Amino acid sequence: MPVQPPPVKRQLAAVFDMNKCLGCQTCTIACKTLWTDEEGMEYMWWNIVSTMPGEGTPRGWQKLSGGFQDGEPRPSRLPKLSEFGHAWEFNYEDVLYGGQGMNQHLQPKTGDDNWGPLWDEDQASGAYPNSYFFYLQMICMHCTNPACLAACPRQAIYKRVDDGIVLIDEERCSGYRFCMEACPYKRIYFNQAKKVSQKCILCYPRIEQGVAPACFRQCPGRVRFIGFLDDEESAVHKLVKVWKVAIPLHPEFGTEPNMYYVPPLSPPLFDDNGDVIEGSERIPRQYLESLFGPDVNRVLDTLRTEMAKTRRGEKSEMLDTLIAYEWKSMFGGFTRDPGTLKRPV
Amino acid sequence: MRAVKLQLATKTLLNSGAFQWKKVPAEELRMAGARVDLQPSRYVRTVWAGRPVGAVRNLKVQTAHNSRDILFRLEWPDESKDTDFGDGSVFPDAASVIFPLKGDAPLETMGSPRSPINAWYWRANFATDEARNRSCQGYGTEEDSPERQVQARARWEDGRWYVVFARPLSANGKTNVKLSSAHPAKVAFAVWEGSSQERGGLHSCSRQWLDLVIE
Ligand code: SF4
Ligand code: SF4
Ligand code: SF4
Repeated sequence: MPVQPPPVKRQLAAVFDMNKCLGCQTCTIACKTLWTDEEGMEYMWWNIVSTMPGEGTPRGWQKLSGGFQDGEPRPSRLPKLSEFGHAWEFNYEDVLYGGQGMNQHLQPKTGDDNWGPLWDEDQASGAYPNSYFFYLQMICMHCTNPACLAACPRQAIYKRVDDGIVLIDEERCSGYRFCMEACPYKRIYFNQAKKVSQKCILCYPRIEQGVAPACFRQCPGRVRFIGFLDDEESAVHKLVKVWKVAIPLHPEFGTEPNMYYVPPLSPPLFDDNGDVIEGSERIPRQYLESLFGPDVNRVLDTLRTEMAKTRRGEKSEMLDTLIAYEWKSMFGGFTRDPGTLKRPV
Repeated sequence: MRAVKLQLATKTLLNSGAFQWKKVPAEELRMAGARVDLQPSRYVRTVWAGRPVGAVRNLKVQTAHNSRDILFRLEWPDESKDTDFGDGSVFPDAASVIFPLKGDAPLETMGSPRSPINAWYWRANFATDEARNRSCQGYGTEEDSPERQVQARARWEDGRWYVVFARPLSANGKTNVKLSSAHPAKVAFAVWEGSSQERGGLHSCSRQWLDLVIE
């Protein structure tokens, strides 16, 4: 019998508009400073924005497998620390304060292990002048059928009934890390200091108080939409359910992720004379299909049709929603100012 | 197996290299890999179906008491000393001394809700002399018990682990097995080989409960 998804009443979902992302990692730092700045968490990036085509983090995660096939768990393996990359300590004291600034350059004290979470950042594919890259926003997908949850022999992972957020109970977690193996998006990290597995919590303490998650609220590119999937007023509902221009990453992984992506449009190719090849696209469709499945073609065509409409001077509610003239329209009601929250002491 | 009576301090016997252990009769146990089909996680059952479980096949055990504490000395071959999580793909080596709390608790599932077990648990990344006293009602249900009188001291040398567990004979409480010369008891043993990624319900275990007689 296939693995059954846990029941929920409502599901929070997000949309990332890849066409607007600046690759600034403000989201990454927002999460880092809020949730992962303690001992044992140095190497964790619950949110990361990877350059694609690229290896992402942990290195080459897309090839590690996991998730489900026809409802059956697909074997994977534990990512190694070297595939995440260690958190480097830099020689700030020497270079900045120790008077060595003229003869030493800023470098990791612990030595270079030739890989890190953003090692291939902004590295393009294709040959000039037709090179290309784009940004992929990664957090836990808060899957409808979480492979992490199904893999845990201690039932330390649960999916909240009221909002579908997937959480690890650190009291129950014994550090067996079957979840890390099984998650096909490899979004779980092991905390060596606390000996427990940890991951994105979708900022549930903020959600519970009507505040959008930190990486959403802080994004200067207005890339990130959040809301209940069944809230017909929410941008997320419209983009995913009505206009269907936001689609899951690697749907074939079988976990039914709840993070959706508006796939990247491309600039056209140049020919040998430097002239634009009309109707061409830099990012190979085949590559995009490898990420989003064949449905990506329909979405890109829909976006192009809609853009043509606005060029003719017509209105497009879909594009207006994606542009997000008013930031509050992006957060499905989770618009409370985080500054009004009482901070835990 | 028989816990022989020795007039020696627990401190002395916690040292697995103490010459006095040489006189204590030893049992050589054949260990069996845990049954994969009984694991509570579908992922584990699928992935480990085709993988050998229970890398440690032979365990040498001795037991003794000094009227105050009862001790178990475990010894097994392990070429790789895993005391932590290494590059992230290994686990610390570990061992357990297991007792049924009621009658014949099922050993191959580590107890059941009706028949819990008491497991003294040592893991190679614990602090010196640290051991956990756990109760368990089946795979995946292990809990640290509030009664913490178990200790363990370990040594790895030339490709072998030596671990001595100790607990006061008088320890009581709901999750503690009763051990005294008046009570016939049963005991079993489990070992986890960290470099083979053994953890949780993936271990090697003695094949059945052994009768334990305390002199
Ligand atoms: S993305 Fe991975 S960690 Fe997050 S819910 Fe899905 S399976 Fe679990
Ligand atoms: S939702 Fe919150 S916990 Fe998750 S990645 Fe964003 S900031 Fe971090
Ligand atoms: S998602 Fe937003 S905050 Fe994150 S890199 Fe892109 S633009 Fe910056």
